[in-house]
Amino acid sequence: MQQEQAIKVRNVNKTFGSTRAVDDVSFDVYKGEIFAMLGPNGAGKSTTIRMILDILKPDQGSIEVLGGPLNDRRRDRIGYLPEDRGLYRKVSAIEVMTYLGTLKGLSSGEARKRSMELLERLELAEHADKKVQELSKGMQQKVQFAVTVLHRPELIIIDEPFSGLDPINTLVIKDLIVDMRNQGTAVVMSTHQMHQVEEMADRLLMISRGRQALYGPVEDVRRQHAIHGIIVEGTGDWRTLPGVVDVQPASGRRNGMLLRLADDQTPDEVLGAIAANPDVRVDRYEIAVPSLNDIFIMEAGERPDDLNGMDGRYVEEMSHA
Amino acid sequence: MHRTWLVARREYLHNVRQPSFLFAAFGTPLLIVIVFAIAMFFAWNSGEGIRDRIEAGEYRLGYVDQAGLIPEDIPAQDFSEEHVAHPEMFVRFDTPESARDALDADEIGAYFVIVDDYVQSGNVELYSYDTEVTGPLERPISGLLNASLSMDLDIELPVERITRPIASQGLSIFTLDTDREVDQRTLPALILLPMFFAIVFTLATQITSGYLMSGLVDEKSNRMMEMLVTSITPMQLLSGKILGLGALGLTQLAVWIGGAGIVFVLGRDLPVLENAAFPLELLLVAIVYFVLGYFLTAAAMAGIGAVVGSEQESRQYAGIISLVQFVPYFFLVQFLNNPDGAAPVALSIIPFTAPMAMIIRYGLTTVPMWQLALSMGLLLLTTMGVMWLSARFFRWGLLMYGKRFNLRTVWAVMTGRAEVGTVAASGKEA
Repeated sequence: MQQEQAIKVRNVNKTFGSTRAVDDVSFDVYKGEIFAMLGPNGAGKSTTIRMILDILKPDQGSIEVLGGPLNDRRRDRIGYLPEDRGLYRKVSAIEVMTYLGTLKGLSSGEARKRSMELLERLELAEHADKKVQELSKGMQQKVQFAVTVLHRPELIIIDEPFSGLDPINTLVIKDLIVDMRNQGTAVVMSTHQMHQVEEMADRLLMISRGRQALYGPVEDVRRQHAIHGIIVEGTGDWRTLPGVVDVQPASGRRNGMLLRLADDQTPDEVLGAIAANPDVRVDRYEIAVPSLNDIFIMEAGERPDDLNGMDGRYVEEMSHA
Repeated sequence: MHRTWLVARREYLHNVRQPSFLFAAFGTPLLIVIVFAIAMFFAWNSGEGIRDRIEAGEYRLGYVDQAGLIPEDIPAQDFSEEHVAHPEMFVRFDTPESARDALDADEIGAYFVIVDDYVQSGNVELYSYDTEVTGPLERPISGLLNASLSMDLDIELPVERITRPIASQGLSIFTLDTDREVDQRTLPALILLPMFFAIVFTLATQITSGYLMSGLVDEKSNRMMEMLVTSITPMQLLSGKILGLGALGLTQLAVWIGGAGIVFVLGRDLPVLENAAFPLELLLVAIVYFVLGYFLTAAAMAGIGAVVGSEQESRQYAGIISLVQFVPYFFLVQFLNNPDGAAPVALSIIPFTAPMAMIIRYGLTTVPMWQLALSMGLLLLTTMGVMWLSARFFRWGLLMYGKRFNLRTVWAVMTGRAEVGTVAASGKEA
């Protein structure tokens, strides 16, 4: 990629006591992309984010943010929405937004103006003067998001941006994030909602047990994890088809079966064989590309002490909808 | 520095509008004024009987003129209206003993002794069985002295004797049943004011540093802190809060001392406050101790507030700090009996109790310069030490949740070996 780097992390290590929370992680985030950070709970995502934000210092390795080490001026160009987030409860939404805006270097007039614009866009304008505690949880989430982007940062880091939001509000926030990406903002998004990553993210980093498990463009990652097989729904004995070496139920699909193919067999040949065979009838047919969810479970589950049958059950769903 | 100022401004403007602050700032002095007014009303009324009897010409006041000032014939025209007196009410006695006999025989209501060195000292001793004599009798006594002094006598008079026949705090009152000297004139100036200052300043310290702590705990528990950490540094947040709330404390003090000033002005005519000068020096010392004491308490509370998890827990610790600050109050008797005794001196030097103890002592005695310097110096050093320590805890504890800290972690933080994020790492997510 030729874009400008927003974050540059190189060989970063962080140990707490005897726990190695982050182990030799390196990655880049570019302006104008949505970068997903994935990983199971306790994998090291928050520690990595906190090191990027200079809340924690790495034991080893280097981190550059917006072209250098983090300082006050660079900090003003970042928006951070933590996973554990909240606002003053007994203060009006507009007031808390204005205050936090001024702490990011805006004048109080400017902060107020932009807050109103954002509240307008988030359909919260009529609630501007209500105290935060009088707002619903979803409204509060939207106000928190608005605070994060109020100062028009060049880099935003958001942790679980959609938690607690209904589908409509999720869509509103999603549009905002995509808009910002399109305007050149670098967006780092940490989430467990894999379908959001599939829909929005350009590239991803998955951390598992402190180590970098996956890194690259979302499509590349999925393609790398493609298995040589097809998913079918229908009736008949699939084992009789030529080139099928294994048949097992496809996860997440009530009637779907995953057919693993011999190495020299192409999916097209199998489709031809199905059509020619009167004993099998197919209602649905697709190439087995794993969802990020499957890849996530596979990567996170691939542990010596955690072989609980997850292996091999990754499957299905080209598009989950 | 700019961010610190923004935090300070926000803390000030936000808290100054809180009902709890408005109540503490305006309600408390109002309450004091009301209580004071009621007390004064009763004190004033208790003297009414004597005043009525003087006006009716029924009251007799004896005197012993050891200074040889009072002429045989006191001309009536020399009494002015304000003295509420007439020549016939005064009965001359040659010795205190004969006056005492007359008092015991109920021939007179009270008697006063114009002491030998009266001309220089302006001291007059008043004896009575009635403790409420000062108010109604002080003016007639002044009137008699005034009338006598204004007659052409061959005495070299200091100017202040003419303007003020009885010196400020020169009237000693002896109630005869206990034979104990009760110096009512000195009560407000010596005891009430330092007590007032000590309590008011300690309360102001505690109220404002209480705001600081609950604000921090609030920001932690509602996760506002997480939103703040990428905008400002922990030190900017801490110093901004301490400054903003310190200004709030000063505002509160200004209101309270202003209220006290009003009481003072309104109470000018009341016997308890008459002639009592507003102790500017005491006020200055009190302000210095307030500022130092506030920074010490605020820093301690900020350190605790950053570490503890809940409002309830923080109150327990705040309670301990308050208790320590009020320790001198429990030694009040020692302070009144001997303000230069071991306990008062020690308490006025130990940093945590010094603000209250020193203010009380300062009003009661002449505190030696070295004690004042030692006390302030120690307080300053301790304050700086606690602020440094608090800053460490503040940085460390800012993003810790739901963990009760123990002595081992406290030690680790103090020695700089504790790592920020330890809890986050071993907790839910790293």
